[in-house]
Amino acid sequence: MSLDDDDNPAVGVASPIISGVSSSAALPPDVSPDALSVDDLIEDEGTASQDFRLFRKNAHVSAQTIRKGEKDFESHGTRAQVEALEQSRAAMRDVLSYTRVHTGPQRNLARGWYFPQWWEGYQEELQEGEAGSAGEGKEMEKERRPFGYIRERVVVLEGSSVASMNLGRAVTGQAKDRPARGKDWLLPEEALYLVERGSLDLWWPTRGLEEIFPPETTPKEGEGEELDEYDLGFPLSLQAAYALLIGKDDERGKISLQKFQVYSNLKRCGYNVLRAPPITTQPTRCPTVATTTTLWQWLTSILTSQPHHKHYGPLVRPGLYRSYTSIYRQMALIPLHKPSRSPSNPRNSPGEPFAIHFHVWKAAQKWTKLRHPPPDFHLAVVDAQESAVPTLREITALLDATPHAPGKPEWTGPGRLYARLKHGHRNGLVAVVDHGVINYMRFAEAAFGEERIYERFDARGHMKSGGKKYGGGARSGNGNGGGRWGRGGRGRGRGR
Amino acid sequence: MAAAASERQVRISRIAGRYLVFDIEDVVHMRRHHGICAVLTGTMPQNPTQNLFLGLPIELHAEEAKLLVDKKAGYIADELSEHLSRLTGPDEAARKAYIQSLKRQRRAAHAAFEEEKAKVRAQHQGKRKAGKKAKQTPAVAAESAEDDASTIGVAAAAAAAEGEQGESLFSTAPPKQPAAARESPLPGITPTTSSDLLLPCPARTVGDSSSSMAKDLSPSSYPFYRYLNSRGYYTTPGLRFGGDYSVYPGDPFRYHAHYLANSYGWDEEIPMLDLVTSGRLGTAVKKSFLFGAEKPANEGAVAGAGGSEVRVFCVEWAGM
Repeated sequence: MSLDDDDNPAVGVASPIISGVSSSAALPPDVSPDALSVDDLIEDEGTASQDFRLFRKNAHVSAQTIRKGEKDFESHGTRAQVEALEQSRAAMRDVLSYTRVHTGPQRNLARGWYFPQWWEGYQEELQEGEAGSAGEGKEMEKERRPFGYIRERVVVLEGSSVASMNLGRAVTGQAKDRPARGKDWLLPEEALYLVERGSLDLWWPTRGLEEIFPPETTPKEGEGEELDEYDLGFPLSLQAAYALLIGKDDERGKISLQKFQVYSNLKRCGYNVLRAPPITTQPTRCPTVATTTTLWQWLTSILTSQPHHKHYGPLVRPGLYRSYTSIYRQMALIPLHKPSRSPSNPRNSPGEPFAIHFHVWKAAQKWTKLRHPPPDFHLAVVDAQESAVPTLREITALLDATPHAPGKPEWTGPGRLYARLKHGHRNGLVAVVDHGVINYMRFAEAAFGEERIYERFDARGHMKSGGKKYGGGARSGNGNGGGRWGRGGRGRGRGR
Repeated sequence: MAAAASERQVRISRIAGRYLVFDIEDVVHMRRHHGICAVLTGTMPQNPTQNLFLGLPIELHAEEAKLLVDKKAGYIADELSEHLSRLTGPDEAARKAYIQSLKRQRRAAHAAFEEEKAKVRAQHQGKRKAGKKAKQTPAVAAESAEDDASTIGVAAAAAAAEGEQGESLFSTAPPKQPAAARESPLPGITPTTSSDLLLPCPARTVGDSSSSMAKDLSPSSYPFYRYLNSRGYYTTPGLRFGGDYSVYPGDPFRYHAHYLANSYGWDEEIPMLDLVTSGRLGTAVKKSFLFGAEKPANEGAVAGAGGSEVRVFCVEWAGM
């Protein structure tokens, strides 16, 4: 590549935005690298430096090197502005011209081979197992190996590298004479992510898997490999990797671009991400805790039964009231949602796109790909152009697919009211992707009906003598609950 | 005029219904000459644990892809089928050529690394020699005085003081020797594009498969987008601000977005609530809300690409 090409003043004139100014403003090619003297361009003008730039791995690349200083509101035709823009463009070009190189000792290199057909038939066995539903499930339980999407795995990893600690899966239970036994197989997103970050050399095989990975490991001589290096296959480009691994949603061995973008975004942030296992129509566990009522509860429900409302007259019947509770109970006309431990409608399985696609874990030392705690987040990926805000049915189905996750037990009392409400009883994340721009949204099942603020009004009244801090508030007797919300209570008191 | 630049054909990779561009030269060219910046979506291999600045490929809107094709400035390639046909097809020579080019690149990378290593070594020795000079020992320095030698003199002096005898022992070895002796294997390469494997652009008749592929590509907001683009505006996806596009008065590297824009149909009823919410939203992020539509051609349903009329309006929330 040559820098001169684009810094050519003549080219600058052709561009509509820069207009005539640039002919004088465009830098002579030998000056521009100096102008970009920041970390990313510190090479001197050697003959090979141009070449070298392509392979240099520079750790200091950041958004700052591209976008320098404050942005402007609009073009004001100054040379400084044009130069700043040219610098940004040149910096982008330099940074992105990098070619992924795999250096180091041969055994440290992670090499993957693309074998899309290898596990194609695997699903059949699994499905048969699932037909006898409980059998397969129990076996999985016994092994404690999470569902692996074996059928989707298309890239086999050669050797063991750092990457295979968190990614990939070896397929166990294979016959001894199977080739590539015990090797790690990568899902398309895992392979593509590794290729993209320069950690994996993806190869296209020209021979069969049997020849590349002989069943019983007969150690090949390094020298022999050196000679016919491209005998077994050849490396693929990033473009080819995208072409082979990105596909439509339902294609086997591929992943949709949106999902991949979300996956790699999360991985770059340091999260551990796995595909969510398919939803098994689990036999609905009897929601024993939720529905059974104790004798005491039954008694109290009789004593404080819901008042019957007449079709006319005041909502709160006239009378003498000594507590707020009885007033508010009369005012509760609409039944409030009560979150339950079991899904509200177990048959209501989420449909695309609002279905849980990924399980996400915060980075943790003890996380491994096979043994990990329940996920921290349940994530759905939707396309911004093809979907709208989810309907109640969609959101309910999505939340039903997530486990019951009430807030922390120490979140009690009025002080943590909003923490409880915000956290909800179930929650799911939705990643909205608009052509590469990702937004994350959290949907939670909040239970406002569980937070009876009025019950605390009465408590305040009884505490009249004890409440020294908010002694003045005792007269109005209306503070909406705990002491923290005293200020709001005053306002309400005045309006009464 | 730079003819080569203006005739450049951008290769738009169509993968699973999405439009991607992998070639950095194409990206730079589009940005400069066609006002298309799109979104960088890939992980940067140099710095793979950040999300602030991303790498190739870039993802184009369908409108952007169509605009390039319509301007005869780009072509759409169905990457999967093209790759498979080259990878599995009978054309052995093409694959040979690809492997040859890979080998070339690997050698270039190798040479670059070796040179860098030699340079570092030379610099290192330069430092030591500078340290010696500072101590008035006779300099063996035959090669260049390092530019920065004076600045790091202090550090070098310390290094020199650390081992005087060991110094001479090391410096006896000529710098090139260890490199040759080690003979590190050629580094592996993952090229960014498959340009060496695939058919180059001139070899295809531009516009046969590409245009047919572009035909089923008619996003409803295309006229609106083309209108903005033709007036020198850059657009990026509007998700961040709650519209179809965010619209910049120039390259987003330099300018803030002025508008958040939505495209509507000419006769489409726009709910008042949308106007209010979008207007308020835009004002909250210091942008005005821009919306517009294409006036349908009067003389029948002619797909008049050139002479269509697009009308746009701006809404700003006035704090009264």
